[in-house]
Amino acid sequence: MTRFFRSPQATPYLLLLPAIAVILAVVLVPLLVSLWTSFTGYNLTKPATLFQWVGLRNYQRVLASSDFWWAFGRTVLFITIALNLELLLGLGLALLVNKITWGQRTLRTIMMFPMMFSPILVGFQFKYLFNDAVGLVNNALFDLGLIREPIAWLVDPILANFAIIFAEVWMSTSVFAILLLAGLMALPKEPLEAARVDGCNPWQVFRHITLPFLMPFIYIAMTIRSLDVARAYDMVRIMTNGGPAGRTELLWTLMTRTGYQNSQMGMANAMGYVSIILSIAFTVFYYRKLTQARTFMGGAQ
Amino acid sequence: MSNKLTTALLASCALGLLSGAAMAQDFDYGKFDGYTLKVKLIGGTQYEKLYTRIPEWEALTGAKVEIVSSKNHFDLDREIKQDIASGSITWCVGSNHTSFAPQYGDLYVDLKELIPQSELDKYVPGTLASAMVDGRLVQLPRVTDVSNLYYRKSLYEDPARQAAYKEKFGTDLAPPQTFDELKQQVIFFADPPNLYGTAFAGKDEGMSGRFMEILRANGGDIFDENWKPIFNSQAGVDAVNWFKDIYDAKAVPAGTINYTWDDIGAAMAAGQLAVDLDWPGFAGFYSDPNASKIASELGFATAPKGTAGIRGGWSGSHSFSVTQQCDNKPAAASFAVFLTNDESEMMEAQAGNLPTRTATYPAVKEWFKANDKAFMVDMFTAWEASLAEARTPPLIAQWIEVSNVIWPNVQAAIVGQKPVQQALDDAVAEATVIMQDAGLLQ
Amino acid sequence: MSAMTIEKPWQRWLIRLGVFVSMTILVVPGAWVVLTAFRQNIEILAKPAVWIPQELTLKNFQGIFGLLDTQQGLPVAQYFVNSLVISVTSTVVAIAVGMMGGYAFARYRFKGKGALFLGFMLSRTVPGVALSLPLFILWARLGLIDTSWGMILVYMSINIPFTIWLTDGFFRQIPIDLSEAAQIDGCTRWQAFWKVEFPLARAGLASAAIFAFLTSWNEYALASQLTRTTASKTMPVGLMDFTAQFTVDWAGMSAMAVLIIIPALVLTFIVQKHLIAGLTFGGVKG
Repeated sequence: MTRFFRSPQATPYLLLLPAIAVILAVVLVPLLVSLWTSFTGYNLTKPATLFQWVGLRNYQRVLASSDFWWAFGRTVLFITIALNLELLLGLGLALLVNKITWGQRTLRTIMMFPMMFSPILVGFQFKYLFNDAVGLVNNALFDLGLIREPIAWLVDPILANFAIIFAEVWMSTSVFAILLLAGLMALPKEPLEAARVDGCNPWQVFRHITLPFLMPFIYIAMTIRSLDVARAYDMVRIMTNGGPAGRTELLWTLMTRTGYQNSQMGMANAMGYVSIILSIAFTVFYYRKLTQARTFMGGAQ
Repeated sequence: MSNKLTTALLASCALGLLSGAAMAQDFDYGKFDGYTLKVKLIGGTQYEKLYTRIPEWEALTGAKVEIVSSKNHFDLDREIKQDIASGSITWCVGSNHTSFAPQYGDLYVDLKELIPQSELDKYVPGTLASAMVDGRLVQLPRVTDVSNLYYRKSLYEDPARQAAYKEKFGTDLAPPQTFDELKQQVIFFADPPNLYGTAFAGKDEGMSGRFMEILRANGGDIFDENWKPIFNSQAGVDAVNWFKDIYDAKAVPAGTINYTWDDIGAAMAAGQLAVDLDWPGFAGFYSDPNASKIASELGFATAPKGTAGIRGGWSGSHSFSVTQQCDNKPAAASFAVFLTNDESEMMEAQAGNLPTRTATYPAVKEWFKANDKAFMVDMFTAWEASLAEARTPPLIAQWIEVSNVIWPNVQAAIVGQKPVQQALDDAVAEATVIMQDAGLLQ
Repeated sequence: MSAMTIEKPWQRWLIRLGVFVSMTILVVPGAWVVLTAFRQNIEILAKPAVWIPQELTLKNFQGIFGLLDTQQGLPVAQYFVNSLVISVTSTVVAIAVGMMGGYAFARYRFKGKGALFLGFMLSRTVPGVALSLPLFILWARLGLIDTSWGMILVYMSINIPFTIWLTDGFFRQIPIDLSEAAQIDGCTRWQAFWKVEFPLARAGLASAAIFAFLTSWNEYALASQLTRTTASKTMPVGLMDFTAQFTVDWAGMSAMAVLIIIPALVLTFIVQKHLIAGLTFGGVKG
């Protein structure tokens, strides 16, 4: 064993050891506990129920619940729309800022401004911005003479979802922009110049040189964002808490209400495990894309 | 708070409450030298003023107080549940609320065993009764919430509106006696987008609670005596229709379905609403000219009655509880009594909260008269009148869970996504499963 | 950069316009919060809207610091110190640990590599609610509830996978021959790393650090559960001190928000410099 640890083969494992240890302690162990509870009738305020084995009852109820599947579908839609919008806008922003040479440091700081806002703050902020009676958005539309009747941003089925997606996009586009900007800055100049000399137009340069080079960055950004998009929970909880009439109910709001307010922790964890399938699908998808993209980039495979 | 103000407050307490001060001595706060009492208190600026009295209790008893947690209502609830789950009840006194208390099972002791009856007699009887769970006094009430009407005098006293109202309905325009009348006035006043009749909390327990209040005022209830959910009765349908009618008439802001109390407060203070059925704490906010446009025209009236001729009186109290696992229960009880004694209640009342001790009502009215705040006297009169009919939500652990199936369905009915009867039937079906799972309903 | 871009003047103006418009959209909703912090209660959430404040006030800040008679102050200084200690420590450690991991993935072949990499990613897919309660129970047993170390560990676990992916990507871009050349010149792999690869990856590390710091600085969901008192309560959790059962003090909350935003903004501005290093490092590659 000692010989293994001194051998060169051991180096990567040793390098990874601290990271693995932290993840084991903070994620894996608690996760196993959750897995156990999802097979019990665990009620938060009755510790004894932790050992009340109910088999697959929670899962059966979850899978049979139309509320759950609505929330599931809505979450998939929310993530897909939000992430793609953020990617497109973030890419556009990065390309634009990259063109500006003067005051770029300040510009980049401004670009990252929304990242300074805690998701919980973003929730309150947009709740008041989109308030129909005294909110900034309706006030502005009134005073510009664009509307006569207030728009109920957080109530209408389409607008309410638009509002939470808007808040999410506002909060997170910067993440894409800054990552892609970092990628753009790492972009080698020679191929660009060579392409220009060869008479390629800007679109061709972008399509055939810049974009392929950026792809790994895009996938990294996508992976990261698809993982921590659940941060949006704090925001949605404050803005609509899944309402009205479940119109903006996402898995996160449904699960937390079930687990903490209703104390049905076993049930909530069953939902959690079903929804993990969703996250795994997203993650594996981007991971494979990332690996493919990296084959172009060298390094150890 | 500055020392000057504290002194002024204490002085006025002493003046206004000579008899109260004498009575307070009846209770022996005890001596607990060297003991450290661990407490979990509800945080937020509005609740923390009272905690400035903690050093007084420390001086009186020789004990030290360690605040191990200070959070808002909902986070504290979650934290206490986590403590139960992880078996880490290492603290003695916790802030509590009548709506939450039944969830905690036997976490808290029966305070009747720790506090003499003579002391308990000083609390408002109805308030104390609603602090009981299964016959056990699990909490000592600190402030009470019950909703009554705030209205704008400029609208009710406007001759043009008075005439128009008289012509249309044949009665004088005056603060409403019944929910039907309130509905009629709310629709009458509405002139969107500049003025709405009222607004209501359209989500979370706020929606369930107001629905329950009107349901009860209509003679219905959430459960029958066997814990069978029965709120899909005619009384329930009428209650939902009350909301639906004013919503459809655009007499409330369309966003109201997503409002919580703070949105309603903001709209009323901005002069957007004609009347507001709300808790007593907003009196201070609405009457502050620096925060509110309606400060000079605020009127108070007792909540309307339903079709059964009674008030729903949805109420709840913030409170203090003592844990079973506490290593020094007398010290904990002493602390809880101290923070709800006559001086403490006076402090809460002067801040505009409804106190939980009988003697505080006349005393605080005197104090407001003496301090040029006569309108607050009107507020206390209106609110005190409704206390007799105040009723809490069902005091069972499943209330929050049942509430969480009621409000989304009521919402769906109001916005027209489901027929009213079907929405209530759906909610009753879900609530029935919850009650069966809990073993309360066979 | 500008030397090689060939733009017509109208294109340049179009770009500037685009930058201006997009910056405005990014800034306005946030700037509104900042403005609210300096306004009087009666002017915010008003109808009809008050667009130009009649008077700016520091009252909301004075309230937070307990300088007004009407309310008790908040222990902002302690919140701030907690936030700073937790965010900085977790960032520094996560970057160090994550960089080691990223380097391992970028430069070595080893058994189970793909699975490990995927495992790190999947560790972040766990929904918060499935994690929060068991984590709480575990932390309670270990005595980590309401301690800075408890929060630091949690934030490390959030930021490590993320740093690994990011640094992995950056290390891959550094040609392996550079380090090999250094090793041929007599450097050990360790020396080669510090002298050649680390400086080149600095841009990547800087952005990873900004992300890690901001994530920890702004995190609310887990902090609201694992912290309880001034011993470890962070600034975002402090925001909720402005909410009560029936009210939200939006002006006060905005003032607190400004106190959260400013340090983060200043730090971001400073760290930007290191991102610029990325410019040169890109050039090295060709």
